[in-house]
Amino acid sequence: MFRKHTRRAAKAAFAISFGVALLIGLAACGGGGGGGKKTTSTAAAKGPKPAITVGTKNFAEEFILGQLYGQALAAKGFKVTYKNNIGSSEVIDTAFKSGKINVYPEYTGVIALDLAKVKAPKSAAATYQAAKTFEQQKRGATLLKPTPFFDSDTFTMLTSTAKKDGLKTMSDLSKLKSFSYAALPECDQRITCILGMKTIYHLKNIKFVPLGNVSVYTLLDQGKATGGDGFSTDPLQLDPKYTTLTDDKHIFGFQNVAPVVNESLLKGGNGTLLADTLNAVSAKLSLPAMQAMNKAYYVNKQTPKQIAAKFLKANGLAG
Amino acid sequence: MVASTFVDAFRFMPNHVSLLLEKTGETAELAFAALAIGLLIALPLGLWLGHRHRGLVLALGVSSLGRALPSVVLIGLGIGILGVGFWNNTVALVVLAIPPILTNAYFAVEGVDRDAVEAARGMGLSELQILTRVELPLGLPLLLAGLRIAAVFVIATATIAGLFGGGGLGDIMARQVTYGLSGVFAAAFWVAALALLAAAAIGLGQRAASRRMAPRT
Amino acid sequence: MTGWLVAKGGGPVIPDFGQPSACLKRNGWFCTDWLTKHWGDTLQPALVQHIQLTLIAVGIGFAISFLLALVGFRWRLFDGPLGGFTDLLYAIPSIALFQLLVPLTGVTVTTVEIALVSYTLFILYRTMIAGLRAVPDEVLESARGMGLTRLQTFFRVELPLAAPAILAGLRIATVATISIATVAAFLIDDGLGAPIFAAIETPDLFKTELLATGGLAILLALVADALLAALQRALTPWNRLR
Repeated sequence: MFRKHTRRAAKAAFAISFGVALLIGLAACGGGGGGGKKTTSTAAAKGPKPAITVGTKNFAEEFILGQLYGQALAAKGFKVTYKNNIGSSEVIDTAFKSGKINVYPEYTGVIALDLAKVKAPKSAAATYQAAKTFEQQKRGATLLKPTPFFDSDTFTMLTSTAKKDGLKTMSDLSKLKSFSYAALPECDQRITCILGMKTIYHLKNIKFVPLGNVSVYTLLDQGKATGGDGFSTDPLQLDPKYTTLTDDKHIFGFQNVAPVVNESLLKGGNGTLLADTLNAVSAKLSLPAMQAMNKAYYVNKQTPKQIAAKFLKANGLAG
Repeated sequence: MVASTFVDAFRFMPNHVSLLLEKTGETAELAFAALAIGLLIALPLGLWLGHRHRGLVLALGVSSLGRALPSVVLIGLGIGILGVGFWNNTVALVVLAIPPILTNAYFAVEGVDRDAVEAARGMGLSELQILTRVELPLGLPLLLAGLRIAAVFVIATATIAGLFGGGGLGDIMARQVTYGLSGVFAAAFWVAALALLAAAAIGLGQRAASRRMAPRT
Repeated sequence: MTGWLVAKGGGPVIPDFGQPSACLKRNGWFCTDWLTKHWGDTLQPALVQHIQLTLIAVGIGFAISFLLALVGFRWRLFDGPLGGFTDLLYAIPSIALFQLLVPLTGVTVTTVEIALVSYTLFILYRTMIAGLRAVPDEVLESARGMGLTRLQTFFRVELPLAAPAILAGLRIATVATISIATVAAFLIDDGLGAPIFAAIETPDLFKTELLATGGLAILLALVADALLAALQRALTPWNRLR
């Protein structure tokens, strides 16, 4: 009796091990090695198109932009894969340099001021030029045409707090003995952020509250920071509960978006198609359009994929 | 690559002693609060249930359930209900600390030799006296084993709170942009050290408790 | 600011993205409209990815632990170092381990899997060794007395008797892996952790997404635990206690 059980148990133990090994094999095959988000290309008869890997930074607007550019390319027959939520500008720049991605949307001011670290250009056009030169010379990349809309960092506060302390511009912050500012971790090293507040605004006693996967607006609501880095296209910017201090010394720069594209993608027969497709998308990204899309994400809780698809379709860019 | 990070981590440590101490203090504070509250809730309950030999299903069920609760989910729920801060992380960690304490308290008392308990009852001791003077001392090693598991688990999980504004060594680990990979490694080291320290301290208590029990028979 | 770039063919058509439901507007905990609309594109894929992550990690972890346990059991000399090695792996917090592996295996599922496997090693190696060691000497004596060889003794006596402990360890390792895999969203966009992180990062926390996804993770763990417990009971009827 005992023997029967032990033999059964032994067989079962092995069955489990082999079964699990089999499952691994199936799962690995079924998952296609990774579970990344993939899209399939439509049938294309225009010669070999380069494979596109679109990267996005770690916030919603980037996800939407990535989908906009990626889906437009896919509609034209390119094979597109996505690497979403890679990280900050510094991190995605590294990923681009190492070839892990070959297209990503970036903000011209961030490229010029935080990556290239040039002296602050005085206009949006100058910022774009500085960024374009940097990408060309230092990254072997082409910066395609910029979008009409811009999205810069801000000094957002609760309106009640701003009124109480009589703050209208960022220079007014010198009135306060000390204050805290909540932003993504890379902020305290950026001239477009806390570093700029210290060196250009000459503000002292700034306590940096690094955003740990919690929204700026949540922290402001709970009184965990005096001010925070809300993005200018966030839907809550239009909410009277929040107000932004005027960036009178313009540390936040000019921040239009432009796709950073690996030069090699633009060579060959499909280069013009690729550039034209992306430029066509950029041209349609006005401030109201981007605000509407951000609202669809944050308020309507739609996915970036759905939002981008709807927008491209409405503008005849969905192929 | 790993080797160079290893070396860099040890160069990071002497340069950032005050930072590391401050962050370790935050983690320790969080872990301590969670364990204290967890003990307060789970210990009496586990001891009493074990004494009455009731609630085996509860003890086992809580143990199974506790393992099934991802810390990320608990911390998130904590933020949703209590807001960002010390308490949402503490509550999450308390929930995770309770199962091992409860289960081990239960089995520590429940497993005590029935004869010893009967003898004590025969001598006229009250139920509470039996629990405190007979069952608890005999069950102390197992109880402390549960506390040790809870302590290591809570300290390791407290680092995840650092991802969500909880501070502590987890904060360093979540900010490679600021502290570099060497900083991340250094913080991980200190977390492991803190956990080992706590485990060793409780382990000493365990050994002392077992040694005291041995000659009694 | 919109003037300096001339849009080709006029301004964009901004489609109507609709209005959020009343439930979403007040950020309720259980907005069924969102749940039904986004089961297919958010919740279900995340669940499937999570199951995949877990199966691969536990499968590989089980295989490696088994081999290591065989070594550690057969040659006691190796048991100490192997045990210490698996202890060390577990002591490294998941966030740190993920980042440490990135220079080696990139920001990929592979990195996450390596970390998850490391954590299962800690649980499985020790329980397997303990299970094998727990076989009473008398049983081994009688097996030897019956003329079984070392190999036969192992496969026909020790292994089956250790099966309950091994299965118990597998159960704990599986549940632990499901739980730790939620942290993987720190690195990659896969698994149930991704919607959880996204929900927490939304202003004022997206409560429905958090509860639904968190609930799925907990449910998955409980189901896995129950299935393995049933398996344990079915295979070891003489060992009903756990």
